[in-house]
Amino acid sequence: MLTYALLTGLIFGLYFGLVGLGMNLVFGVMRIVNLAHGDVLMLGAFTAFWLMRVAAVSPVLTVIGSFVLFFAIGIPVYYALVPRLQRSREPEMLSLILFFGLSQVIEAVMSMLFGNNERSIPSRILGGGPVPVLGQTIPFAWLCAAAVSVGLFCATYLYLYHTRLGRQTRAIMAQREEAVTIGVDVNRVSAVAFGLGTGLAAVAGVFAPFMLGSFTPSIGVPIDLVSFAIVVIGSLGNPLGTILGGAIYGVCLMLMRTYLSSFADLLPNLVLILVLLVRPTGLLGRRVRHA
Amino acid sequence: MTELLATRGLETGYGTMQVLWGVDIDVGESETVVLLGSNGAGKTTLMKCLLGLLPQRGGEIRFRGESIGRLPTRARVQRGLAFMSELGVFPDLTVDENIDLGALFTPRARARTRAAELYDLFPVLKEKRRQAAGGLSGGQRKMLGIAKALAGDPKLLVMDEPSAGLSPLFVATVIRSLAACRAGGLSLLIAEQNVKFLELGDRVFTLEGGRIRFGGTPAEIQADDGLRRAYFGLGQDDPGQPDRGQAHDVRT
Repeated sequence: MLTYALLTGLIFGLYFGLVGLGMNLVFGVMRIVNLAHGDVLMLGAFTAFWLMRVAAVSPVLTVIGSFVLFFAIGIPVYYALVPRLQRSREPEMLSLILFFGLSQVIEAVMSMLFGNNERSIPSRILGGGPVPVLGQTIPFAWLCAAAVSVGLFCATYLYLYHTRLGRQTRAIMAQREEAVTIGVDVNRVSAVAFGLGTGLAAVAGVFAPFMLGSFTPSIGVPIDLVSFAIVVIGSLGNPLGTILGGAIYGVCLMLMRTYLSSFADLLPNLVLILVLLVRPTGLLGRRVRHA
Repeated sequence: MTELLATRGLETGYGTMQVLWGVDIDVGESETVVLLGSNGAGKTTLMKCLLGLLPQRGGEIRFRGESIGRLPTRARVQRGLAFMSELGVFPDLTVDENIDLGALFTPRARARTRAAELYDLFPVLKEKRRQAAGGLSGGQRKMLGIAKALAGDPKLLVMDEPSAGLSPLFVATVIRSLAACRAGGLSLLIAEQNVKFLELGDRVFTLEGGRIRFGGTPAEIQADDGLRRAYFGLGQDDPGQPDRGQAHDVRT
């Protein structure tokens, strides 16, 4: 039972890392909290539902299509909202209000248009049945979600550390004003980061029906809570710290579900409080030498 | 001397507070100008306004004959203006990455050659090129800040308090590094409160309360009793001329 809890915890941890990755990227670059992140994930789940279940589009095309579509949507949303926020006196606080409002609008519109009933996608659509791993039987869909998550972590790493645009992104994360002084086009780099964050959330949404069992238009807020906990555990503003945050959250969640199932829903808040008390900068918080 | 940068009647501020009042300064080709002033005099504000980080409220900024006051920072950097702030580096990025980012508008091949030249100028950085800038000592970070600012082959390097947070030993090292850049024909505008930087200057301006109080050569500032008292802490009765090596820091 322990092996199963640890193994599935790690698999879910990788997936949760993907869930928080976009939110952390956006926070790292723009210092704004995108509380509509969970709703973009929900929209990704609807996209997967329509494409895979209704239109019988292949899962690979669905993942790529969702990413491209939501990346493209994220860019104009950035230009419409974020530069105005950044010019305000308190962009962080205002971002909470604005994106919470946007989240409520998205949820309400989706509920009105498509109803609040639960939707699911059968696992067989992804192909393959349960897979034996280390003596445990794991659903193929979970392994797919974990594999795609790992692939997107690697792609994000390559983007941030091995492209010039990625280095500019990290420069803005480190010192925004310093980045402006060397000529970085902060709006263009931030728009790309926002688009990537939106695209990553949508891909996480594609796998939400398989990982969560089902989805409704109201999953956005609980997903935001989970994402925020994961981001803070890893390190706020460090996208790759999200992987560690996701892994810790996933393993803790599965251990709780296995041994203390009635308290499992308390987990995000408990881990969040613990990390904030012990290490407020997150487990991979920045260390700078002050000479 | 050909004019490189000039401000005429420059005014700016924050919110309802005006900080600069009709500032006139100029820097020529291959010239080093030191802007002296104590804390709160408006040095950083002037630097930010020159770079376009603060909008000007009045007056004019000319760079290489062109009025650049309405241009965004990016366009000013593209025209050859480089800025080194007090921090000067991206702490989370490696030395290599910092230098690479300083050459955003430089073709790849030239950027690589330039990085090699800068590593020759600052050998200590070459040894630490894969290390995060945040792990460097204060002096090494300043060197990296200078290297990053020079990576894009600027015409004019504008520096905000390069001595800030440094021990006297590191200040001397920074001054030596800047002297080497100056010898290579680079123009420098250095905002400082440490008068040791006068040894680099061809000309000096003093800034007080957001206004230029003096403009002349380092010899002229030392010949003026009031300015000597203000910036060197020495009066008429003190024996001999103040030694630049013994010059005082005017930080308060």
